[in-house]
Amino acid sequence: MTTTLSTSRAASTPPAVPTRVRQSIRERVAPYAYVAPFFLIFAVFGLVPLLFTFYVALFDWNPIGERVFIGLDNFTRLLDDARFWNAAWNTISIWLLSTVPQLLLALGLAHLLNQARLRLAVFFRMSMLVPYITSVAATAIVFAQMFDRDYGLLNWMLGLVGVEPIDFKQSVWGSHLLIAAMVTWRWFGYTTLLYLASLQAIPRSLYEAAAVDGAGGWKQFRHISIPSLRPVIVFTIVTSTIGGLQIFTEPLLISRVSAVTCGPVRQCQTLTLFLYEQGFGQFQFGYGAAIGVALFLLIIVMATINYVLSTRTRSERS
Amino acid sequence: MKLRIAAPLVAIALTTAACGGGGGTSAQPSGDGKSFEFWSFTGIDQKKSVDRYQKENPGVQVKLTEVGGSTETAQALTTALAGGKVPDLVLIQGDDLPKFVQQPQNFHDLRQFGADKIKGDYLDWVISQSTAKGGEIIGIPTDVGGMAVAYRTDLFKEAGLPTDREEVGKLWPTWDAFIETGRKYTAATGKAFVDNAATSVFYQAVNQGPMKYYDPSGNVVYSTSPQVKTAFDLAIKAAQAGITAKQSSFSDGWSAGLGKGQFAVVSAPAWLLGQIERNAPDTKGKWDIAAIPGGAGNWGGSYLAIPKGAKNPKAAWDYITKTQSPQSQLEHFVDSGSLPTTPSVYKDPKLTGHKDSFFSDAPTGTIYTNSLLGLKPFHVGTDSAAIGQEFLNALENVEQGKGDAAKAWDAALANIKTAIGK
Repeated sequence: MTTTLSTSRAASTPPAVPTRVRQSIRERVAPYAYVAPFFLIFAVFGLVPLLFTFYVALFDWNPIGERVFIGLDNFTRLLDDARFWNAAWNTISIWLLSTVPQLLLALGLAHLLNQARLRLAVFFRMSMLVPYITSVAATAIVFAQMFDRDYGLLNWMLGLVGVEPIDFKQSVWGSHLLIAAMVTWRWFGYTTLLYLASLQAIPRSLYEAAAVDGAGGWKQFRHISIPSLRPVIVFTIVTSTIGGLQIFTEPLLISRVSAVTCGPVRQCQTLTLFLYEQGFGQFQFGYGAAIGVALFLLIIVMATINYVLSTRTRSERS
Repeated sequence: MKLRIAAPLVAIALTTAACGGGGGTSAQPSGDGKSFEFWSFTGIDQKKSVDRYQKENPGVQVKLTEVGGSTETAQALTTALAGGKVPDLVLIQGDDLPKFVQQPQNFHDLRQFGADKIKGDYLDWVISQSTAKGGEIIGIPTDVGGMAVAYRTDLFKEAGLPTDREEVGKLWPTWDAFIETGRKYTAATGKAFVDNAATSVFYQAVNQGPMKYYDPSGNVVYSTSPQVKTAFDLAIKAAQAGITAKQSSFSDGWSAGLGKGQFAVVSAPAWLLGQIERNAPDTKGKWDIAAIPGGAGNWGGSYLAIPKGAKNPKAAWDYITKTQSPQSQLEHFVDSGSLPTTPSVYKDPKLTGHKDSFFSDAPTGTIYTNSLLGLKPFHVGTDSAAIGQEFLNALENVEQGKGDAAKAWDAALANIKTAIGK
């Protein structure tokens, strides 16, 4: 191999100096030009609005009235606002309730779908995507009806075995569970396929060798599958942190009357809903933007914690 | 769930980026004068009025959009005003109006078209709500609420209560008597009496009197106004009496409950009758309408306004004058049940003689206008809607069995203070 390489290098005659400079400039610029569209679009639709949000957060801004510079007042008000902490707590609770089961379920399913002897494998794998491609609004409406206190399927079935109807939407835990169930249902298939793709990249011979050495299914899963999945698990944890902290549509749709507060005591109001309520319900753009900034910081903190935790466990194990 | 990191931030920023100070476009209207855009909300049936107007005025095109509920429509209007692209005419619900009246520079002062000359046609306390501090009139009232109680005659009969609307009205001269009647009903049938305490008791009682959340000079007094506390305590009492179905008004369960007889009584301002009819068409003839406990009062009502940036303000104004004249409001009432804001037609036989067949031929015109006659108007302020919502939330929480009744009042006051900052 070394010989081939050196011959090919020797064969190409070195170009004259001017061309070489021009070419190397082009070569250096080309990659940037190729990725430029992404950065331009990101700048226009991501970075500028982001910076503008920081700017808006410094004002008492009524869209149809006045705009007064108030410095960091919106942020100090936010820290004192029980509604903000309630929304932050709801968001984290719903995120945990939806992410943990979702990732575990996806791990298990991916392992099952990766079995060599599975019949109809393609069918099962494709069906994983069905919840993902279903509109989130449709999902929310169906779930809200299933979990309804008086006319819901779930309470009807509980009623058959003599359980009193449960009002999921009105209680804190009930509404969190309901929303978490929707999120889990919608995303587990997507995550499963990510894991499955990773699993498929593991050489079968590794499993066969392990089997020969006497390792059972569980041992194979723990010592071969999980370690190879680690990068993609870190990826899914980080992305589901980002997404989970921004849950909006599901709580908005399960209670359509008091939608932006998600119930009389804001029992399932998430941070994005609170942002929407303040920004577009009360039309306090400055305060809404301050909530946006707080959410942004929270996501960065949580994602970093997740990342550090999951990479640290890897270095300890290996 | 992935890659949506900046979505809410983007949404906020993009909307705000588009606004350079509200309503700056007051230049010459550029429209053709023959067509105009009209934003209404759902459930109020403006289409009938638009259709009639188009038939009588051939050649004029009205582009009617039902944006959503009344709150959503007001939100869309705010965004539109901030962004500069506005409809020519918009319907604004009474509770949402104060926010806009406070910023009159966003709307045409209707006096420039001659609103001064016709303002005497309307109930003065209603038109005063759309009059800004400087005297600008930004809205012409299309309808008012008026109050009454809708009840199921078949269920009342089963419970051994009278079914005639006069006698039923006599069962509850006061809200306390109303709650007592509820106890009797629930004891006799084992079923809930009224849909909920928050809307059907609190929201009605709080609207019956001269001082609600603001005093006449516009200071917030929600925490000290006796009218508010009395209404709140009544609702707590109703919730604790176990006579409510715990169905929040307009929720899916409420709509279903109307048809299934889950409750026998709903407090029903004039505009709610259409919703009962649409949600429970099979119950035709089983409902009737009686007077509300506590007598006079009003809940709801809407206004037509012309945003400053409208392209066809003249065409929009023509629509307002033709469809909101006393005679037209009377016709709209006969068509769709919206109660006129023009007292000159209150004695018209067309109104007094109107009977609603869905509600056992109840004389809705007479019942609802009667509830307006003894009315003592109260000041509606910028935060009236937000204050009302927090009271409703606190009551609903008690009703659902989650909140402590003894602490509910203080909790509501604290929440209002956080929400509106005073």
